[in-house]
Amino acid sequence: MTGRGEVTTGPLPIGQFVQLVKQSVTRDPLFKNQALRGEVTQWKQYPSGHTYFSLRDQDGQMRAVIWKGRCVIDPSIKEGSEVVILASLDLYIRRGEIQLNVERIEPVSVLGELEKAKRLLVEQLKKEGEFDRPRQVIPTIPKHIAIITGAGSAALSDMQRLIENRWPGLRRTVIGVLVQGPRATEEIVRGLAVARRLSQPSVAEKRGEPPVDVVIVGRGGGSPEDLWAFNLEPVARSIIASPVPVVSAVGHESDVLVSDLVADLRASTPSDAIERVVPVLPELHYFLDEFEERLSVAARRQFRENMQRLRTLHARLRVAPMAGLNRAKTKLLSLSSRMKVSANQSVGIQKTRLAQFEASLAAIHPQRVLERGDSMTQTADGSVLSSVEGLESGQEIILQFADGSADAEIKETHSKEGEK
Amino acid sequence: MTEKQPTYTEAMQRLEAIVSTLERGGMGLDETLKLYEEGAELLRLCKTELTTAEGRLNELQLDEIESELQAEEQ
Repeated sequence: MTGRGEVTTGPLPIGQFVQLVKQSVTRDPLFKNQALRGEVTQWKQYPSGHTYFSLRDQDGQMRAVIWKGRCVIDPSIKEGSEVVILASLDLYIRRGEIQLNVERIEPVSVLGELEKAKRLLVEQLKKEGEFDRPRQVIPTIPKHIAIITGAGSAALSDMQRLIENRWPGLRRTVIGVLVQGPRATEEIVRGLAVARRLSQPSVAEKRGEPPVDVVIVGRGGGSPEDLWAFNLEPVARSIIASPVPVVSAVGHESDVLVSDLVADLRASTPSDAIERVVPVLPELHYFLDEFEERLSVAARRQFRENMQRLRTLHARLRVAPMAGLNRAKTKLLSLSSRMKVSANQSVGIQKTRLAQFEASLAAIHPQRVLERGDSMTQTADGSVLSSVEGLESGQEIILQFADGSADAEIKETHSKEGEK
Repeated sequence: MTEKQPTYTEAMQRLEAIVSTLERGGMGLDETLKLYEEGAELLRLCKTELTTAEGRLNELQLDEIESELQAEEQ
């Protein structure tokens, strides 16, 4: 390598080179005590008293250091703060990294005010339950997308290109609005109002197109101030009031705006919004074709199964009359033989029952009783006496035994009741 | 199937149910025919739905579309 005017004979040791760069960088007046503006990221205050951070905006960033005691640091400065610094360029030799040595740092107070307003709005909306309200569902097949964004913006051309890749010719209406600057809020609100009108069936019919069924509102990345319209109440209220689902697609992934919090769907970037709203047409066709195939295969198999069943039934039907007759005959035979058996059985049972009946009858015949050793008492006219009741002294009675009888006369009666 | 025309998602869900029922088998001829016809109708519906999503690409400034809408109203 040949340095500027310096003659070298071989490769320069890197350390020396870094030294040279440092000299060059620190000498340049352009890089001394420069006022710079940007957003604070990776803010870190070390116990040593030094503070490290990066200052960035959408176009670039650089590491910065505030050496201990160099300046007073506003305690409100934190991650994401927009600040103005006075700094000089330096090179950290050990790492060969360029960094800003900060002499002064001030928060951009306007932004502080805005942040405060945003916080209050978020609190208010939360209290009203707007964050808990049920969100509208994005249609599977959007028939008419309204896109509210900067006309001619990079974000819009990204979205358009992405839509054409996914679903060429998908119906959409782009409503070009200002997305930053003092009129942005008003234009975004009006854009949302237009989308609302286009979502009304009567309006859509007049225009000869389906009503808008999903709205994408957003813009590409920018400084917090550039995105600020999406943090304001009118935009938030318009999104909440939308009769069709609204997708908020503002800035980069790290930017979370009030519009993101109230929208039906938060997309991290405009391109992300398209990916979440617009299906890939060839995929849809593929699914439908697959269903069509499965449906016809399954139905055909069912038909075949049914035909097979029919053929079997048909064959069985043909042999059925003969088979039926034979079955009937066999059944008849078996029935008649069973009948015979049961009739015989029945007669036998009756006979046995009769014999039992006779036996029990014989057991209780008076003669049998007498034979067991008992006797029977009768009045003179032959009626059987079973009680002392009605008998009188001197009355004639007859005692019957198994082998004869004896005449007798009542001497006295004793009723058991009388004994009691 | 719902009484009014089903949405694309509903149609796809019903299709899935029909196809799985048919694939499980054991259906009578009548039922097979009925399910097949319903499935074919749903497929037709979904395809129509896809074509109706295609149409005009409008790209207008806020003022232009606002005056367009205003003109249509009168």
